[in-house]
Amino acid sequence: MPTLIIDNQTVTVPEGTNVLEAAKRLGIEIPHFCHHEALGSVGACRLCAVEFREGPVKGIQMSCMVPAKDGMVVDTGSAEVLAYRAQVIEWLMTNHPHDCPVCDEGGECQLQDMTVAGGHGIRRYTGPKRTYQNQNLGPFIAHEMNRCIQCYRCVRTYQDYCGGTDFGVLGSRQRLYFGRFSDGPLESPFAGNLIDVCPTGVLTDKTYRFKSRIWDLQEAPSICPHCSLGCAVTPGARYRQLQRRRARTNNRTNGHFICDRGRFGYGYANHPDRPRYPLLGHRRVTWQEALAALQNKLQELGELFGPGSIGLLTSSRATLETQFLTKRWAAALGSDQLCFEAHPGRDLGARVAASQRLDRTASLEDVRNCDLAVLIGADPLSEAPMLALALRQAARRGARIVVVDPRPVELPLAYERHAVSVEKLGQLLRGLSRPQQSEFPSSMEELGGSLASALLAAKSPLLIGGTDLLGPQGTEAMQQAAEACSQPETPCRTMFLLAGPNSFGGALLSAEGPCFSSLLEGMEQGRIKALLCFEADPLADYPDRKRSRAALARLDMLAVFDCAATATLQEADLFFPTTAVEESTGTLINNEGRMQAFEQVFSAGTPLAESAGGSHPPRFFSRDIPGSEPQSAWGILGALMGRSADLLTLRSEIEKNDHRFAGLSQLEARGEGRRIAAPRQYSLSHQPNISGIMGSDQLQLLVTETLYGSELLSNLSSCLHESTPSAFVMLHPQDAARFKLEEGKKVLLGTPVGDLTLTLRIAGDMVPGMAIVPRLRGTVLEPLVPGTEPLPCRIEKA
Amino acid sequence: MLLSEKQITQLKRRVRETPHPREMILDVLHAIQDANGWVSDEGVELAAIILGLSPLQVEEVATFYDKIYRRPVGRKVIHICDSICCWSRGSEALMQRLQQLLGIAAGETTIDGMFTLLPTCCLGACADAPALRIGKTLYGKVAIEQLEAILDGERTEVSS
Ligand code: SF4
Ligand code: SF4
Ligand code: FES
Ligand code: FES
Repeated sequence: MPTLIIDNQTVTVPEGTNVLEAAKRLGIEIPHFCHHEALGSVGACRLCAVEFREGPVKGIQMSCMVPAKDGMVVDTGSAEVLAYRAQVIEWLMTNHPHDCPVCDEGGECQLQDMTVAGGHGIRRYTGPKRTYQNQNLGPFIAHEMNRCIQCYRCVRTYQDYCGGTDFGVLGSRQRLYFGRFSDGPLESPFAGNLIDVCPTGVLTDKTYRFKSRIWDLQEAPSICPHCSLGCAVTPGARYRQLQRRRARTNNRTNGHFICDRGRFGYGYANHPDRPRYPLLGHRRVTWQEALAALQNKLQELGELFGPGSIGLLTSSRATLETQFLTKRWAAALGSDQLCFEAHPGRDLGARVAASQRLDRTASLEDVRNCDLAVLIGADPLSEAPMLALALRQAARRGARIVVVDPRPVELPLAYERHAVSVEKLGQLLRGLSRPQQSEFPSSMEELGGSLASALLAAKSPLLIGGTDLLGPQGTEAMQQAAEACSQPETPCRTMFLLAGPNSFGGALLSAEGPCFSSLLEGMEQGRIKALLCFEADPLADYPDRKRSRAALARLDMLAVFDCAATATLQEADLFFPTTAVEESTGTLINNEGRMQAFEQVFSAGTPLAESAGGSHPPRFFSRDIPGSEPQSAWGILGALMGRSADLLTLRSEIEKNDHRFAGLSQLEARGEGRRIAAPRQYSLSHQPNISGIMGSDQLQLLVTETLYGSELLSNLSSCLHESTPSAFVMLHPQDAARFKLEEGKKVLLGTPVGDLTLTLRIAGDMVPGMAIVPRLRGTVLEPLVPGTEPLPCRIEKA
Repeated sequence: MLLSEKQITQLKRRVRETPHPREMILDVLHAIQDANGWVSDEGVELAAIILGLSPLQVEEVATFYDKIYRRPVGRKVIHICDSICCWSRGSEALMQRLQQLLGIAAGETTIDGMFTLLPTCCLGACADAPALRIGKTLYGKVAIEQLEAILDGERTEVSS
């Protein structure tokens, strides 16, 4: 631990810390471009120069390249250093355009800051500047190469950190060009991070182009709602429009980066079809009318049929506050017909996952630091994109990554793949839970045995599973396997991918409550007369749409509280508009049990761009803000229960009521979140067993999540539509040959929801005997939902 | 055809045998350049297929080195060093004279398609400065008076 003096202050830092970072610990920000906490130092920009007065090195050196050593005395602001930096800036600026007012980076540009800080106010260089042709990099990123200062951050982010291969640095010396081989959309699902890392206006957010300056944006710390990882984000809004999201740093979870689903999925909040006022039938009514209608109906039903006639449903999209108050309200109404997830498999899977010992639960940080990760039934890029990036960092440090999956799982890193059928995943896990006896299915003795010994030998091993493919039993089997492969010094941790941003919260609160199948049964039998859906879409999420539709149709009242125009909303008798994540405050618990609070970014309202019909300022005036009726679901619940809508009171109540949420009331949105205090209790004993294996001749249909198009909210974001695939089915080449089908041709897939015409994709690295389709909302595949047993299907030429 | 089937198979085999395919980027690009005189976009794409890399990864290397020609060039490329040692020994005058003799500016190709004239940054022949390279032949300690003869020699070598 070297101790050194920087600007007359003493600091002790861990061995290997560079002087730039050491200074940061003292609150001294040394100007820099090319150094980045996540990317490291390369010494390319020459801006971070400091003067070493005493110690092993002397004179002006790059602080990012010099490791801190005992006895160093450093001056970060001597006259000589300042002159040096001013010169570096002047030289970087020789080629830079002088047009910040028309540059989209203006106001949040590190080059602007550094130029001002460096005191370079007057340009002496009058010669010609280097100019470039820009490329079309696809829907997400605008390219203006003339603004480049050759810091290499983009290449280091794109290629090294994210594993992309289609963006890089071309040419040499004065001819450097940062771009692609030819125009075309960037292929990496993490490309959006280029926007955050580029310190100038070369790479900016195309979806946000020329919309706002940063000082006009409303921003607040928030959480990405598009998968169960809960990455930290900073959304920005203006004129009632959510205009962008950028990554926020949380070293326990996402680190410095986010995925493109998270970055560009924001458009759901501005969707033109978003329902913004209460509806009775299909008639617009006031909040009072709607609430009165609801209360009256509930009272009537309660009196006639008892409180058990009222069913309540929330979802993994609902905040902990909403879930908690739904539970409270159910209790107040006297109904035990309460459920936290419309998909029973996902519900039970999350309940099992949430019962894992906390010291065996891995965060994304643990993933980045592991030395062995075995993914069984997990497809990171589809189910939890940032997990893929975390795995890549582990692989870069030498970790071994093994994927065991029936699907052709792709990862931006070097890994081992084993195509294994769904049934065998469970058998493999059961074998791993008894590693000494090596009871593996015959075809998998070798793989199972080698994985068991590798997990036992690794220093920080990890088992990663998706609850969709593993199901509750497989999830439990993975926990047992982790237990069995743990040594006192080297515990094997698990990470489970869940359905939504707050699946974990619902799993904690659900106790031994019913799952949605039993609520459906109640509706079918006429016991349940009313269903209240809080940010839940049972019609789309319950795997058997025919059944859920029929059951919902029998209800006396279907009340929906939501911020999106869901399938269930179409059938609702009563509708209450709720706020988007960015329009409210709340708490989400991610897949490792981390409670994360988020703050309100802006107030709900129809974006001015829409309400003003393209003319600005709007030409008519009213006292009310158009489209501002949505309220937070927990706020509405509070009002229905006649209690105060104060968030702090509510959070204190939650933590007093349930010790697992200890610390909730002190949670800071800006912080790293806080793990729950204890996992849930759960035993799976009463659950049905995995059904039998089908005849080998028959194809099995597997429905799986996909990067774009599966998740409800991001699918409503128009900027992602260009990247969303059209409906397809994947077959192994053997099966394609068996049925005489060709890649790219239309095929007819016979499924339990009917015959679907799809485009065929052939994937050599999937398991044979299976047809794989993505969950794609808004296409013929819409009624097919992941997280069920493989279904029987047949396939032929269309 | 940028390369014959046989050449492609051979190169692919060599790529398989190297632990890091990236090491083979220049070899593959040179093979394509030798066969075609330069490396077109299609050439980069073919190299990428042979190497199992993305076209961008090949292009990064192809555009870094000035001896890989990403545009059509004459039958022989004259690389004249303009780096420090050669400059101090009179390379500027050589460059001027060459332009005069060839009737082209730096970066251009003679009308007969014979020569392309390119400045280069150090040929590694600093001890023999000023230096230039025509095709694969290196000329050191070049005196301005020799240039005509050198060019003539290079011309006849091609025609013979
Ligand atoms: S494009 Fe941006 S990040 Fe990349 S080198 Fe240029 S300035 Fe740096
Ligand atoms: S990985 Fe998940 S939580 Fe993180 S940014 Fe992407 S969608 Fe959002
Ligand atoms: S930050 Fe140190 S040289 Fe760029
Ligand atoms: S400086 Fe001309 S060959 Fe090195």
